[in-house]
Parts: sequence; C-alpha cells; structure tokens
Amino acid sequence: MGTINVSRKYTLAQKIYLYYIIKGMLINLKRFFRGLFLQENWTIQYPEQRREYSQRFRGAHFISVDKNKTENCTACFLCETVCPAECIHIIAEERPEDENTYGVWKEKKPASFDIDLLRCCFCGFCEEACPKDAIKLSRDYEMSVATRDEAIFDLNHLKREVKGRG
Amino acid sequence: MDPVIFTTTAIIAKILVLLGVTLGVVPIMVWFERRGAGWFQGRPGPNRVGPFGLLQPLADVIKFFFKEDWVPANANKFYYLMAPVIALVAPLAAISVIPFGSHIIIGDHVVHLQLANIDSGVIFILAFAGLEVYPVILAGWASNNKYSTLGALRGSAQVVSYEISMGLALLSMLLFYGTFNMNEMVTWQSQSLLGPIPSWGAFLNPFAALVFWISIFAETNRLPFDLPEGESEIVAGYHLEYGAFKFAAFFMAEYCAMIMASALLVTVFFGGYGFLPGMQMLLEMATAQFGLAEVGIQNVTALLQFISLASKVAFIMFVFVWVRWSLPRFRFDQLMDLGWKWLFPLSLVNLVYSALLTWYMN
Amino acid sequence: MSNSSFEITMPKVDLNYTSAKTPVHSDPNPEAKPLPKVTIDGKAYEFKPGDTIMQVAERYNLHEDIPRYCYHPGMPIAGTCRMCTVEVEKAPKLMTSCSTPAGDGMVVHTRSEKVLKSRNGVMDFLLANHPLDCPVCDKAGECELQDYTFEYGPQESNFKEEKRVFKEATTKKLSDKVTLNMNRCVHCERCVRFTDDVTKTNDLVMLNRGWHKELAATDEKVGLTNDYQGCLTDFCPVGALTFNDFRFEKRVWFLDKKPSLCDGCSKGCNIEVHHDKEIVQRYMPIYNEKVNGHWMCDEGRLSYHTYADADRIVSPLVHDQASGRLASTNWETASQVVNAKVKSATKTLVVLGTDATTEEGMLVKGAFANRAEVKYHSGFGDNKALDHLLRQSDKTPNTNGLKAIGLSPLAPTDINGNDLVIVIRQGRARLPKVEGQDVILVGVYSREEIETLKTSNVRVHAVLPSLATIEKDGSFTNCDGHTQSFTAAVTHRGKSLAMPRILAALVGEKR
Repeated sequence: MGTINVSRKYTLAQKIYLYYIIKGMLINLKRFFRGLFLQENWTIQYPEQRREYSQRFRGAHFISVDKNKTENCTACFLCETVCPAECIHIIAEERPEDENTYGVWKEKKPASFDIDLLRCCFCGFCEEACPKDAIKLSRDYEMSVATRDEAIFDLNHLKREVKGRG
Repeated sequence: MDPVIFTTTAIIAKILVLLGVTLGVVPIMVWFERRGAGWFQGRPGPNRVGPFGLLQPLADVIKFFFKEDWVPANANKFYYLMAPVIALVAPLAAISVIPFGSHIIIGDHVVHLQLANIDSGVIFILAFAGLEVYPVILAGWASNNKYSTLGALRGSAQVVSYEISMGLALLSMLLFYGTFNMNEMVTWQSQSLLGPIPSWGAFLNPFAALVFWISIFAETNRLPFDLPEGESEIVAGYHLEYGAFKFAAFFMAEYCAMIMASALLVTVFFGGYGFLPGMQMLLEMATAQFGLAEVGIQNVTALLQFISLASKVAFIMFVFVWVRWSLPRFRFDQLMDLGWKWLFPLSLVNLVYSALLTWYMN
Repeated sequence: MSNSSFEITMPKVDLNYTSAKTPVHSDPNPEAKPLPKVTIDGKAYEFKPGDTIMQVAERYNLHEDIPRYCYHPGMPIAGTCRMCTVEVEKAPKLMTSCSTPAGDGMVVHTRSEKVLKSRNGVMDFLLANHPLDCPVCDKAGECELQDYTFEYGPQESNFKEEKRVFKEATTKKLSDKVTLNMNRCVHCERCVRFTDDVTKTNDLVMLNRGWHKELAATDEKVGLTNDYQGCLTDFCPVGALTFNDFRFEKRVWFLDKKPSLCDGCSKGCNIEVHHDKEIVQRYMPIYNEKVNGHWMCDEGRLSYHTYADADRIVSPLVHDQASGRLASTNWETASQVVNAKVKSATKTLVVLGTDATTEEGMLVKGAFANRAEVKYHSGFGDNKALDHLLRQSDKTPNTNGLKAIGLSPLAPTDINGNDLVIVIRQGRARLPKVEGQDVILVGVYSREEIETLKTSNVRVHAVLPSLATIEKDGSFTNCDGHTQSFTAAVTHRGKSLAMPRILAALVGEKR
C-alpha cells in the first residue's frame, strides 16, 4: 500500500497551539451570544415548520383518478417493467362496462396494484413510463410506518386524494 | 443552646446545603450543556419540555427511572454495581474540604462555612480525586465488554498521566502558600498583590494555573479529553453497558466532578471565596443602608463570599461547556504527547521557578 | 438393469423453429438438370420451380427482409396486405413477393428505396385507424404491426382525422376462448383463411367493405366452433384476436421461452413453453412439418393447467393409521413406508400410465424386473384421429413408445389377485379400475382425484409425486411413430422427485 506523507509547515504560534485554540474559542463564543440573545437559528422546528420542497421532489406515490373516482390506470405493466427496484406488483383484469361511461374505452383495469415502499428507490421511472399519467409521485415525504405491511401501498391507498399535485 | 447539639445541627445543615447545591446544580448544568450546545451551534436546543426546555432534565430523570435495570450476563456484578457508586461518592466527598465562605454568626455561635476544615485539605482532595480512576477501570473491566475495557484502559492511563502535572502545579502553589489548609490559602490570596489586584495564585503563577486547568479537563474526562467515552471509536467507552439509573449515576458523577474540580481550581488559583472586584463597595453600601452591626456585617460578608465563589465556579463551568462545543477530541497519542512531553516537563520547570520565587520573596 | 434385452432407436430431435425448410434437392437425381436461380439483394439462390419469391426467401432465411401480414406459410396466399412488395428488375411496378412466382434470372431487391417508401406508405394506411393502445394490448411485444412500425413505419401519421371505432366489437367474445377487438384489426384475413382452409369450419367472415370492413363469426349465435382457436390468436399480426386464457395475465416481454412437447394427446405437438419465474403462462406451437405443422389444438394448449394447478400434490403423502388419512411427510419417511410395503408384497402389479417417457418405461421395467409385472395402460383404447388435422382420441403421448420397449397392455383381469398395485400416472392417462386393492400412487395427482379414489374403496398407502412432462427430460413416440425427445422447460418448485429417485425409494436401491 502506498503511503502519502503530508508534511505541513507550522508557524510558532501554531506549534504553541494555545493562541489558535483561544482564537477559535472566541469565534465560537460570538456564536454563543448570537444564539443566546439574537436567537440565531439555522435549523427548522420540524413538526411546526416544514421545508418547502421543489416542485420536482419525488415522494409517496399515488394514482390519479377521474371524476368518478375510477383510477386512470389501465394495468399496462409498463411501470412494473421499468421499475429498477421491482417494487410494483400488478394483477390485471377486464374492466367492467360501467366504469367506461365516458372518454376512451379502457379494456383493462388493475385488480390489485401494490407498491412496496420499502423496496422503492423513488427514481420516478414509473411516472415517466406511465402512458395514462396514472401513477405519479407526490411531494409527500412523510412515509414512516409502524409495520412493514403498512409500507405496501395497495390500490385503495394509492387512489387517495393528494393535494398540491395531481 | 447546647454547643454539642448546635455543632451537630450545623454540620448536618452544612452537609445538606452542600449536597443540595452540588446535586441541584447537576440538572441545571445538564440543561445548560444541551441548550448551550444549541446556542453554540446556531439551533434552539431542547425547547419542548417546560419553558425554555428547563424541565428536560426532569424528563431525562423520569426516563432513567423507568428504564429496565439490567446487568449484563457475564459481568462481575459486585464491581459492576460498585463503579457508579464510587464515581458519585468520590467528588462529593472531596467537595467537603472546599471552603465556601469564612464564617457566619448565629446567636453567640460561630459557624465556619466549610464542612471539614482539615489541615491536609489539598492532600484529602487529591486522594479523592485519585479515586476517580477506580470507577472508570472497575466499570470497564466488570462490564466484560471489549469497548468498555478499551475505554477503561484509555481512561486510567489518561487520568494517571494528567494527575502528575496536576499534582506538580498544585505543589508549586503550595510553595507559595506554605500550607495544605484550603481556608488559609484563601486568606493568603486575599492580600493585595499590586494595589487593588489580589494576590491570586493565577496572577502569581499563571502557568501553573493553566496546567492545572488543562489537567482538570483530563481528570474529569471532558472534551477535548473524553477518550474513555470516545463515541466514534468505542461506542460509549467504560459506561457502555450501563443503563437506567446506574448510567444516571455516572452522568451525575461527571458533573459533580466538574463542580469539585472547578471549586478546587477557584480555591487554589482564583482566590476561593475572596471578593470579586466591587463586592467590598457593595458590602459598604449594605452596611450604610441597613445600619448593620458587626454580626450583620459578618453574615452579609459570608453571603457575598458564597456568591463570589459560586459565580467563579459558574464561570469555570461555563468554560467547560464552551471548550466542549469548540474543540474536537484529541487523538490518544496526542493526548499522551501533551501530558508527558509538554505539561510534565514544563510543570517541573515551573516548580523550580516557584521555589526560586518563594525563596526570593522570603 | 440391463439394456441389452431390447433396443429402441432414438432419431434426431427435430425442433424446427423456422418455416418451410424442405431441401431444394428433392429430386433423387439432382444433376439431371440445373436448378433455376433467382438473385435476391445481389446474391443468387437456387429454387424449386413454382416457388414464390417469398418462399425462396424463407428457405434461405431471408424472411427478415420481407415484412408480411397476410402471408402465412401454413395458409393459402391472398396477397391483400401489400406489405411484402419487392422491387423486381424489368417489372413495371413493385411486385408482391408472396404471390409472384420466382423466375430464372429474376433480380429482386428487398430493401431498395422504392420498396421502403412503399412499405412506409402501407404502414401509414394501416396505422390510420389502429388505436394507440399498445400499453393495454396483450400483443404488444410480439406484435408484427409494432415491429414493422419500428422498422418501416412513418414517424408521424399523415392522418388528422378521428380514428374509426367499432363500438360493439371493441371487446367482443367470439367464443369462450377468443376475444375480438375489431379496432386493432389490419384486415389481413389470416383468420378467415385459417377457418376456411385449415380447419375447414368456415367460422369467420369479413362483413362489409372498406371503412366498415368488420370481422364477424359466420353464425353470431354460435361463434367460433373449431378446436384450433388458439392458433387464430397466435398468427393474428395485431392484438385483434386475443386468447382469453392468456388475456391480461402477463406481458409477453416477461416470458421466458423453452421448447418442449405437448403431452395432451398421442400427436406430440412441438410447443414452446412460455413461463415467467418458472410459472407457466401458456403453450405456443412451434413448426414441425412432420408432426404438427404450425398448429396445435386448444385442448393441448390449455393442458398446462394440470401442472400449474394449486391442487396438485407436490409433497409425498403417506397413509396414517391413526387418523386414517393421507398425511404429508418427507421423502425419507415415505420411502421407508413404501419400501417396506413393496418388500412385504408377494405379488405386485405395476401399472405404467402411457404418459411416461420411454426412458422412464425402461427404468420401471428394469427396477421391477424380478419383483413385479409391469403393464402399460392408457385408458383410451386404440388411437384414431378425431379430425383431419391433429387431434387424436388417445390422450396420452407415449403409448407407442412403451409398446416399443416391450411392455404389454393392461388387461382388465390383471388387476385382481395382487397384494399391491403400483399405479404410475404422470399426465392424462386414465386411472385403472383398482377398487378394493392396496395401491401406491406415483406421479402427478390432484387432491380431488385422491379423494375420489378413497371413496371408491381403494386403500391408498402412499402418494409419491413425480415431475410433469414440462419439468423433466425424456422422449415420446407419437401416434405416427416419430420419436421426439425433449428437455425440461421449467424447474419444478415443489418437493416432487424425478422417476429414478422415486424408483429407488420404491425398491430400496441407490441408483
């Protein structure tokens, strides 16, 4: 193994050490008083204050619905195909006629649509692959769950209303 | 009143006051350490429990109480349980020889504001300060955990190394004062050096003060010398296997040791309970205002002396926190370099200088 | 076990993917007169007089160069799609290669500028009304329209008009097996010609003309009636006809494809097993001129369900004296039980279902050489063809193979008077009548079958599950005497074992 010798030239003040320590500590003391009297904070008080993320932030998934609350998804499996983490699992079935009351005839519908959030890497490929703009990534970044089962989004949960994007 | 009963009552009262103040300062220090860390780092710090997060230490205590009291299966149970007790008792015992005022007068009795005015005060303190290495090595070894053992080995080596320079710095001051008695030291320091400047040990021998100050950082295992804990390398060091109230005991012991060390530093180098500048004026004003007699003057003096000591100790404690959030941890070899190659020879030189100065002065 | 007592011949495996590769030199005396030559893309190829340009190209594996919709090697030529046009020198116009006979000295260009422009135009017209629903369409991924659009099609359509929509025929069940989506149809009429000329059932017709041209069943009430409906969906170049069994089950690009043999009847059609992660999704026929041509029947196509059945027994069962039921166990216990049973029996009969491979037949014969009588049994009697195409009355694949290794058929009287009957049945052979007998079952069974046996007073001592046809290697001899061998297409995922190890468990020999 190669060794790199890094030699530094120290001045006398640096060698004595104390001068620079005290200098540094005085800088820190300034910070202390600024924090104490001016309440100078660089952090965010999370549950009360929330950071506004970019419009392009990729958070929890959802499936867009039409005005009859029917999912736009046609179970084409393109998201499952493109998914690099293999976290999407779809089972397709024939769409009943009463869900096709208007618009383009959709032959297929997802019988079940599961996203395993624990495997998902939030790359957003599914959103790009979707020909129906059905699956989308919201800006919701609070996805902590108590059990592993909750981390698997099923169709009902994916069809939830998402504010701010949809 | 029977003098025996009075003396006994006074001693018990003094013990209660000392214990109360010392242990009462611990939660305040814990709060200040965490809140202060926030201020140093540009964030609020704990601000959820109570106003300004003041009840945070209480919440911590409740948590410590209700955690599982657990002993590792292969630990040596006796020593394992002994370690936090020694850790807590040693600094509390040492604090008993620190004078926190001259005396007060109650009725016709004189009460000296010092728990044990013994002639070998410094020796007593050194003895109990030396005990502080025991909890570290006992806890580390008895836990039967490699990280604990590593922390204990580092800790004992560090404490022993820095005790030498600390002792030498203390020795040089003993040459000046010519006494081991803490009370006499304070009295000695209250004489004038140059006009209004009192002859504090730190002015007579600033280098010894510096060495002593650095050494107590190492003695109390505080940053930048907290190698026995070293979270990044050995998880939590010697108290890794301690939980619940046993850990709380270690935690409290650390702050008690800090208080004890600060009080010692103040007593030996910063004039002990001697007045801070301006306090004499305050005393005269109070005397004039309330028309105090001799007894009253003495009692107010004692109160001011206590305040003086408390504020000095508070400043030293603040420096402890200040240093902790400013300086990174030393590497172990750097720590040993500093102790043995710099502080030890320099304090030897300093001892010779002190001896010569004392000889010259006499 | 000795192999010297009998011999079987193992002809070469003929798993022929590409179509029509009959040798050009069918004449026994090829040097009698020189064969004519046609030049395709600058290279001269010999051909048999009467071949069309398309057939010559197929024979020399040039079919990639000529796209086609209506042409199918198994059906008569129609020449309706105009996709296969090629440039023939000295011809005034582009010629449809599927219907133009090759001539001596003809010079053909399959990828000239003119040809590509023509194909581009044809694609534009085909796509004018084709819906953009590839994501939903089951054909996507193996769709000829999709492939040719990528290769020849226009990047943008010239049509701004609204697409034609067949409202009723968007999802129309032509039968319980086939669904029609008329919007996707490109009117190649392969399906119509198939029912006219291959199955000769005349099920389908094209109604109306031009814009309104629509595929419909000849009798709307009856719908499709032929037994080869799956083939319609195979060769449909778009997703107009889809097979209900596979519809929406899986996208085709997930499928792994392995060649195997269909064991649905004694014909032994060559198939491709399409599976994803060892779960079979469908069978598709592959071309073998000697056996099945391009086709396979629906019965065989759906026969994979037997092996993918959730009720299939995939771990050994042993009769439990205490509860009187068959209990699942491990192979060690099972082999101890059956071994003791086989050893204690004085007269044993082994009934070998004719769905066993020839190799398994030989193994069984050798293993029980001195211990028991081995008889084969199909339960379907003598084989006869059910129609002019492929279907046979004998629904087991290897009756001829087992006959060839010297086994004799089970006579009804053989069953009685035995201490133990070992029934080996791994496919569609019927179970022999074993009422009142002590029986050990070996092979592929469903829970339902076992229950039926138990109610009919059969003392089942153990069930030893073995591998199905698509899960093992072997060879079958079909009704016409062709021996074809195959290798495992999927890996078995239960605890079933291959026949050699089951036999070792039965007779207690390490093998």
